Amino acid sequence: MFETLRYESRRRVRGTAIMTAAISLYAGFTVWYFSALEGVDYEQLVQEAPATVKQAFGIESLTTIEGFLSAQVFNFVWLLGLGLYFAYAAGALIADDIESERMDLLLSFPISRTQLLAETFASLLVPLLAVNIVTGGVIYLLVGAIGQTIAPAHLVVAHVFSLPYLLVCAAIGVVASVLAERAAIAKRAAVGIVFALYLVESVVGSNTAFEWVQYISPTHYYKPTQILVHGSFNVTDPLVLLVTFVVLLALGQFLFQRRDI
Amino acid sequence: MAPIEVENLTKEYGGVLGVDTVSFTVEDGEVFGFLGPNGAGKTTTIRVLLGCIAPTTGTATVLGADVHDEDALVEAKQRIGYLPATLGFDEEVTGTTVLDYHESIKGGQRRDELLNMFTPPVDRPVREYSSGNKRMLGIVQAFMHDPDLVIMDEPTSGLDPLKQERFNEFLRAERDRGKTLFFSSHVLSEVRRVCDRIGILRDGKVVTVEDVDTLLNRGGKQVRVQTTDAGRAALADLDDVIETTQFPDGIQFIYTGEYNTLLTELSRYDVQDVDISEPPLEDIFLHYYETDANAREVAEADV
Repeated sequence: MFETLRYESRRRVRGTAIMTAAISLYAGFTVWYFSALEGVDYEQLVQEAPATVKQAFGIESLTTIEGFLSAQVFNFVWLLGLGLYFAYAAGALIADDIESERMDLLLSFPISRTQLLAETFASLLVPLLAVNIVTGGVIYLLVGAIGQTIAPAHLVVAHVFSLPYLLVCAAIGVVASVLAERAAIAKRAAVGIVFALYLVESVVGSNTAFEWVQYISPTHYYKPTQILVHGSFNVTDPLVLLVTFVVLLALGQFLFQRRDI
Repeated sequence: MAPIEVENLTKEYGGVLGVDTVSFTVEDGEVFGFLGPNGAGKTTTIRVLLGCIAPTTGTATVLGADVHDEDALVEAKQRIGYLPATLGFDEEVTGTTVLDYHESIKGGQRRDELLNMFTPPVDRPVREYSSGNKRMLGIVQAFMHDPDLVIMDEPTSGLDPLKQERFNEFLRAERDRGKTLFFSSHVLSEVRRVCDRIGILRDGKVVTVEDVDTLLNRGGKQVRVQTTDAGRAALADLDDVIETTQFPDGIQFIYTGEYNTLLTELSRYDVQDVDISEPPLEDIFLHYYETDANAREVAEADV
């Protein structure tokens, strides 16, 4: 039990370290840049931006560190960047192994397909947890270092609530991975779907006639700006995401079980 | 229960039959060769046996486990080794890391012994491996947990002749230890050297399953005669003459009839030279394939 999880997790360590370092550096740069911008009056500039743009980029207030971070880091990197990354990484899980014929060897092991997929998928927890824990810590320390304060509870919630969102993105990747005939198609489809859902929420979602459309996007259920700036959140949103994740992963398992390799 | 039992197995891919009502049994402690050209359905059959693909109709059991029953098959796989035709190891890790992972899942009591016999450079990343080194790493992982049944798909492709011979010797020794070995090949001489029985597959159907010796005996004799035009014509018309080839001043054929009849016929003509010998397995194989163009490819792959 868990041999595959151990092996796959170890393979992810190097990539995780590089990605976590890069994102932490970017977050650190953002915090520093906020302190460098002090005294510049750009609030007016922001208020003149079209409502759609503001909503799309999660811009509410750029003059507080919370508003600045949620716009520059959470809305860009977490909602879009990491969402796409986990969709892509999960899209590669099964499809890459089938394409390289490594799956032949894996299926000769005395473990079930369900266990194989579950353990392989679970290895994505390595980058998922590392990037949240390390970057969260870096942000908290650096905000203090520039003489600002950020509510630690809000920062923690912003990170913890991103987990179910990113799991849904990864589960979309898993479904694409077990469905597609070729690995490149699986990865592109997963990234395409997550990006399309992001756009649906940020662009179409603001139009009242199509208001219902926003509810199908996972981005609707993770609002870092509201958490960080207003400290407002509810537990229903992450629950909706968790249920969606479980359903998608079960669908992925069902399809993988029946698939000819 | 025999280690492998296949019954009326059919696999259809989008209207095309990969294998068509294939039946055969691999007995305990034998080396069974599954012979046929590329595309005949060898790999498809093997994939069904390992549960990679589900049969359209028919069934198969491996070490008593029905291939439809995943739990039973997973249980049986603890005693099965598999050497696939294409070895998709992770390229970025070392051979040692690959074997550690395999050992953690299925055991590796014979790992060191096998690494002494087959010598992949386990300290180097797999991406630096030649095809022969990859093959040796594949052999080690297939046998390291001392399985009762080993299924191999084109096991010697990529191995140099010396290592091939070592591998064949190893297979014979494994058979003598009571292991059951099933392997597919399109190389006849290889099958002849190590197999007890052969199943010949053609266009998704099993054409015959025979002892190697029976197959060779059944094959008659290869006769090569230098004689007159009239003699050549008469010999070619003889009953039980197949696979006739004409060459300047002579004729070559496979003779499957009574020897006296042949000798009487030969004595009627002016014979300058005659050579009667065991036919190559290739020719017996051609007999099963007759005019099939694939057969030549198979027969010649070995030359």
